[in-house]
Amino acid sequence: MAQAGNVLHFSGHHYLRNRLVLSILSGKAVRIDKIRSDDKNPGLRDYEVSLLRLLERVTNGTVIEISVTGTAILLKPGIIAGGSVTHECPLSRSIGYFLEPVIMLAPFAKKPLHLTLRGITTDDRDLSADLFRTVTLPYLQMFGISEGLELRIKKRGSPPLGGGEVQFLCPVVKQVKTLNFVEPGRIKRIRGISHAVRVSPQFSNRMIEAARSVLNRYIPDIYLYSDVYKGEDSGKSPGYALSLLAESSTGAMHCAEATSQPGVPPEDIALLASRALLEEIRRGGCVDRKHQSLVLLMMVLGSEDVGRCRMGEPTARTIQFLRDVKDFFGTSFKIFPADPADESSSDLLFSAYGVGYVNANRSLA
Amino acid sequence: MHGRRGKRKDWTKLIYMSSLSPADILRDISNASARGEQGMSLDDEDFFTVVSSSGPQEQEEFDQTKEALRAEDLKVWEDEEMLNSIRSLFITGESAE
Repeated sequence: MAQAGNVLHFSGHHYLRNRLVLSILSGKAVRIDKIRSDDKNPGLRDYEVSLLRLLERVTNGTVIEISVTGTAILLKPGIIAGGSVTHECPLSRSIGYFLEPVIMLAPFAKKPLHLTLRGITTDDRDLSADLFRTVTLPYLQMFGISEGLELRIKKRGSPPLGGGEVQFLCPVVKQVKTLNFVEPGRIKRIRGISHAVRVSPQFSNRMIEAARSVLNRYIPDIYLYSDVYKGEDSGKSPGYALSLLAESSTGAMHCAEATSQPGVPPEDIALLASRALLEEIRRGGCVDRKHQSLVLLMMVLGSEDVGRCRMGEPTARTIQFLRDVKDFFGTSFKIFPADPADESSSDLLFSAYGVGYVNANRSLA
Repeated sequence: MHGRRGKRKDWTKLIYMSSLSPADILRDISNASARGEQGMSLDDEDFFTVVSSSGPQEQEEFDQTKEALRAEDLKVWEDEEMLNSIRSLFITGESAE
């Protein structure tokens, strides 16, 4: 598939993860330069180098060249291998940073991926292990990636010292299903996971109580689970967080979470998470804003048919992702208002013709 | 014509046929809706729009999935009216007619 001289070129460290993923999936080499070249600390960060190493491990034959100054990289993708991989994530980013790109690749690997990641399991930048398990994985299931799909949180690890461990198991598929998800439905239940490690276990219950004070008014079907990890399994640093998700009658999901901050009582963290969830619900659509890119990517890779999905307004990340997808796959989405008659609705309908991506790596053993 | 433009964005065009940065596309939209609230009487002058140059501070921007939660932004949800405004999105709320 990859032809010599077929190198896509980008500048800057932004959106690095998505570009690397698209390169590996499309088989097109990518060159990214001017990586923080004007920064007083130029070049790749430790977590970006770590991500490159991880991508090298889950693939086979990938060539990565990093310039001496670290401000430019060239990636010539190999095949997605999968298999059993263990990776120590640096403490500068949580495991979510590493899982997000891997989850986009794993279904198309040669062998089912069994990935163990160690580090920080919940932070305020990337999806926590909890949201991954409860929201990201169900999204993949919509595309027919389901049997054997699992995320186990073995140990929790809060910043700054981490000490957490998760296991991600992903099956391989031949092809992903075409998505047709245009009915947002109405929210029928809210679920949540509250956890507190190396602090009073009471914190977890206090968060649940505070979240209920906001959410109870809407629906009775609210179940907030207090997840307890003790001793070794609770990592090296104290911390707590509340992850919430709302599910609609048609399976649309919205999620939000807030993590502990120094000097902020657990009640306030819970209120923050609850209100952020309401904000997500208000923004509408069938897909959570944090998962727009993942869903759009799977739609592009879907079988040669028109996939449709209703979403709220795209985030900045999604906008850039759509542009990058066009560069790599030549696919552009049609985006138009979902309810042209309703002036107050900002929901959009995204539709695209799938490229019919077939997993050629898959071993038929 | 220009007044209409603020209400409905042609996303396909903005994303694939413009060179605006993602942040600019989104900023443009929030400007447009802010203008809308101040009254549409300014429509005639819509032709010349002041581009807000108060760009984001040039601090390290992380490649992150979650947007930072800001308590100030979520203050609106302390308001009873706001809380009630989304009731129709739940199965228990009365259906939007």
